[in-house]
Amino acid sequence: MKHELSVMIFSWEFPPRVIGGISPHVFFLSKSLAENGVKVYVVTCDFPGTPAHEVIDGVDVYRIDSYKNPAPDFATWVYLMNLNMQKEAAAIANKLADKIDVFHAHDWLVATAGIGLKHVFRKPLLVTMHSTEMGRRDGLHTDTEKMIHETEAWLTYEAWRVICCSDYMVSHVKWAFGLPEDKLVMVPNGVNPDVYKGIEKEDLASFRATFALPEEKIVLYVGRLVYEKGIHILINAVPKVLEKVDAKFIIVGSGYMKEQLSNIVRSMKLGHKVLFLGFVDNETLLRLQKCADVSVVPSLFEPFGIVALEAMAAKSPVVISDTGGLSEIVEHDLTGVKVYPNNPDSLAWGITKILLNENYKSHIRENAYRKVQEKYDWEKIAQQTKQIYEVVLGEYSKSFWA
Amino acid sequence: MVGQLAEYINALSTQLVKNKVETHVVTYHDFSTGTVEEASGVKTVRVANPVRTHIGVLTWDLTLNQEVERAAASIYYQANEQIDLIDVYDWHFIPAAATLKNALDIPFVYSVESLEDHRSPKADTPYNMAIKSIEWLGFYEAKKVSVKSEWMRNEVVRIYNVPKEKIEVVAPDANSWVKDVLELYKTVLEA
Repeated sequence: MKHELSVMIFSWEFPPRVIGGISPHVFFLSKSLAENGVKVYVVTCDFPGTPAHEVIDGVDVYRIDSYKNPAPDFATWVYLMNLNMQKEAAAIANKLADKIDVFHAHDWLVATAGIGLKHVFRKPLLVTMHSTEMGRRDGLHTDTEKMIHETEAWLTYEAWRVICCSDYMVSHVKWAFGLPEDKLVMVPNGVNPDVYKGIEKEDLASFRATFALPEEKIVLYVGRLVYEKGIHILINAVPKVLEKVDAKFIIVGSGYMKEQLSNIVRSMKLGHKVLFLGFVDNETLLRLQKCADVSVVPSLFEPFGIVALEAMAAKSPVVISDTGGLSEIVEHDLTGVKVYPNNPDSLAWGITKILLNENYKSHIRENAYRKVQEKYDWEKIAQQTKQIYEVVLGEYSKSFWA
Repeated sequence: MVGQLAEYINALSTQLVKNKVETHVVTYHDFSTGTVEEASGVKTVRVANPVRTHIGVLTWDLTLNQEVERAAASIYYQANEQIDLIDVYDWHFIPAAATLKNALDIPFVYSVESLEDHRSPKADTPYNMAIKSIEWLGFYEAKKVSVKSEWMRNEVVRIYNVPKEKIEVVAPDANSWVKDVLELYKTVLEA
C-alpha cells in the first residue's frame, strides 16, 4: 500500500501490556490509522512472551527494553525507560526506508523520548494528553508531583498540537499549562462495540450465577481503586441502594484504597453484597459488562471516562458522576443517568432509578448504544487524527526545519 | 565549575581549535543559557533544564539530556550535517550521545573522568545501579573509550568487561597530549 504519511507513536503501554486506558486507545487508533493509509510505527515497552518487533493489523510494533533494573522510584524509572525508548527509536527511525513525518507521544510517560527525537530528527511532535498530574492528585503537593507537572508542561510546550479527548480536557489542559487556544484540538476517545458481539449469542446465566443470585441485580464498577475514581462514594452508596433493591456490587480493579474499602464494607456487614474481584481477564470483563444491570462511574476527576463508553457499547446502562469528560459522553435521561459528584445519596438515587424501572433501563441502553456508533467510532477518530497530522505537516512544510 | 573537568575541557577545546578542529562545546548552566558564546574560536552553548523541580540527580540529568540533544542537533543541522565526532565526558550526557549516534550516525568517544564504582564504592542501591547502567551504555555504544591512566584502563576492563583494545590512554600531563587526542579522534573517523 502506498502511504501518504508515516507516524511514530510512543506509548508506555500497548496490548498485551495493559495498565490503563492508553493501551487500548493506542491499539485501536494505530490500527484505524493504518486502515486509513497512514504508515504507523508504535514504540512501546517490552512485555514477557512478546517479540521485540511484530506487525499487528498493518501496524509495526517495536517493544523496547523498558529498563528492568530496580529503579529508585516510579518517576525515575519513567525517565530511565525513556532513555532506552529514545535510543532504540532513534535507531529504528534512522534505518527505515520511509522517513518518519510525525512523532506522536501519549502522556508524560513518554515525554522525554518524544521531545528528544523531535529535535534530533527535526520533525513535528504531537501529544495526546490523556490526563494531568494536577487532575490526578487534585493539586500539586510533593516534589514528584511538581516534577511530573513540569514535564507535562514542557511536553505540551514542545508539541506542535495537543490533542485532548474531551472539551473538558481541552479547557483543563489550556488552564493547567497556559496554552494558546489554537494549539489544542479535541478528538474523542473511541470504543469498539464489535468486541461484545460474539458474547451476545452466549447464554450468560451460568456465568452470571458465579457472581450473583438470580434475584440480585448486578451493579458493576470497573476501574482503579484510587481516590480520584470515587470508588469510596460507591461503597458509601451501597446500603442506600440495598434499602430499595436487592443487588450485588461487583468491583473490578485494584489500587491503594482496596484494603480501606474492604474494611468499610466489613464494618457495614455487607461483605456478602460487595465482591472485590481485583484484575480480571478480558473475557471475564466483557461478560461482566454484558451481565451488568447497571454500570457505575463515580469519578471525582475524569478526563474522558472510557469505562462509561465501554459499558454503553456493551448495552449496560450507565450512572456517572456529572464531571469532566463524563458529562460530555452522557446526556441525562437519554443515554445514561448523571448524578452529583462526591454524593453517595445522589449516586444511590441514580442506581435505583435504573434498577427499578425496566422500561427506562431499555430506553437508556438503546440510546446509549446508538450514540456510541455515531460518535465514538474509531474509523472517524482515525480520520480526524490523520487530518490533524496533515494540517501540522502543511504548517511544518513552511518552516525552516522542512 | 563543579570539579576539574571545566578547566580541562577549556584547555582541550582551545588546543583543538589551534589544531584546526572546529569545536563546539555543549554544557550546562542554569542562567547563562541560550546564547552561543565564542572565545578563542571555541563555540559554547549552555543549556538549562526545562524541568525545575526534581527528586534527585538522575531525574535532573535525564531531563537535561533532551536540551543537550536539541543544542547538538542544532549545531549539526547548521553545519550542514557535517559533525564528524562527539566526545562525551562521564555518564551525565551519555543518553544524548547514544541517541545522536543512533539517529544521525555520529560516532562518539566516551571520555572517562571517574566511575560510579569509585565515587560510591560498594554502593548497590537502585540509584547507583542506574548510574552504572548509564556508564555501561556509554561503553557499549561508544566507538572508543578514552581514559587518563593505565590504571583507569584496567578498571574499565575489570568493572565493565570492555575489550581492552577499545580503550585508549590519553594522559593530560604528557607532552604529546593534544597529538594523542587528535590521533584518537582520527582512529574513530577511520574506523
